[in-house]
This record gives sequence, C-alpha cells and structure tokens, in this order.
Amino acid sequence: MTGSLLTLLRELSRRNVEYIVVGGMAGVLHGAPVVTADLDIVHRRTQENVAKLLELLNELQAIFRGDDRRLKPNESHLLGRGHVLLTTTLGQLDVLCEVSEQAYEDLEPFADSMSLGDQLEVKVVGLEKLIELKAAAGRPKDQIALPVLRATLEETKRRR
Amino acid sequence: MAIDLCIMLDGTVPQRNENDDGVDLTLIRWMLSLTPAERVEHIESIARSLQEIKELNRDR
Repeated sequence: MTGSLLTLLRELSRRNVEYIVVGGMAGVLHGAPVVTADLDIVHRRTQENVAKLLELLNELQAIFRGDDRRLKPNESHLLGRGHVLLTTTLGQLDVLCEVSEQAYEDLEPFADSMSLGDQLEVKVVGLEKLIELKAAAGRPKDQIALPVLRATLEETKRRR
Repeated sequence: MAIDLCIMLDGTVPQRNENDDGVDLTLIRWMLSLTPAERVEHIESIARSLQEIKELNRDR
C-alpha cells in the first residue's frame, strides 16, 4: 500500500467499516481548496464495526500520535466518546467517537455518498453540516476555513 | 470591484473571480470540475510539496 489518505479511505470502505468523513478532508471531497494533513472520521460505535476498524488499524500499525510509548488503540478507546488521534502507515488518521457531541447516528442523515472509483463509496458529512460543525467548534483553524467552505457551498448551489 | 461593473461588448457580465471575503472562486470552480478522488489526490500532492519544503528548510 502506498502512503496515501486516499488509499486509507479506500481501505476503510473496502472493509465495510461504517464511518463518515468530517473535517478538512470532507471539505476537500466537496471541492473546497483547503489543505489538510490528516483524515478525520466519525465511526459507528457498535462492537461489530469497531472490530472491523481495529483489524484495519492493526494492519496499518496504528499508534497514538505524539505518544512515545507507541500505544495501540483498543476497543475501549473506540467505543468511548473521545478523539483517538493516530499515526498509521497510510498517514495521520483521527478517529472521532463524537464531534461537537454528535455521533455517527446524528451525522448520518446529513451525509452525502461519494464515489472514489473502483465501486467504492464513502460517506462524507454534507457541506452545510460541516460548516455548522466548524462554526460551532470555534477554534482559530476552523474559523480560517469557514470563508472558503461557505464560498464552495455557494458555488455548488449555483451550479445545481 | 471593477470587474462587477464590467459588461462585455456582447452584453454578458463576466463571472466574479473573488468573493467579498477575498476567496478565489476560480480555484473552487476548478476543484468542482474534478472527481472527489482527484480532489484528494490534488490536495495530497500540495501537502507533500509543503512537507518537502519544510524538510529542506530544516536541513539548512
């Protein structure tokens, strides 16, 4: 496997992990010209889905980012409510149990399905919802991205 | 902006290339012309270039 977030997305989808792309990569998939260095996902927190996700994370030698102990994520981390920030052989992956107190089930109605080729589909949080989440987060890095995301939404609507 | 007031000889108004927040709309239009996979590939190539520049500066 080559070290690529696109490959990481494809691997997650190929293994039928239930997840929704959020964060900067969601903006990119919607067409926003923003640069991001990681992939943020919110996964469905069922034991079956977490088991599939953990199997892939083990294969990708995932460890907690910025921790010298090289800790590996486990089931309890992925069934919790926190943010699991990982380094993998395919790049930086942030596995978010919840984002702004919203879980997979809360975001799913606002997710769009996108094709990545090879008959692989990926669920991506809708652009309007992404803007709402970024605005709610209120962090400087989110505020910086908002004008570009809003302009992308306007341009997308104009094209419909 | 001057371009907003500009009307072409054929009566058409050119598209704005920048919105009120200064966002480059030409980049957005170009990104929207790509497939989702192409968009990710493009951003990843930029991220790789930025990393290379960072490493070059670190070696100095």
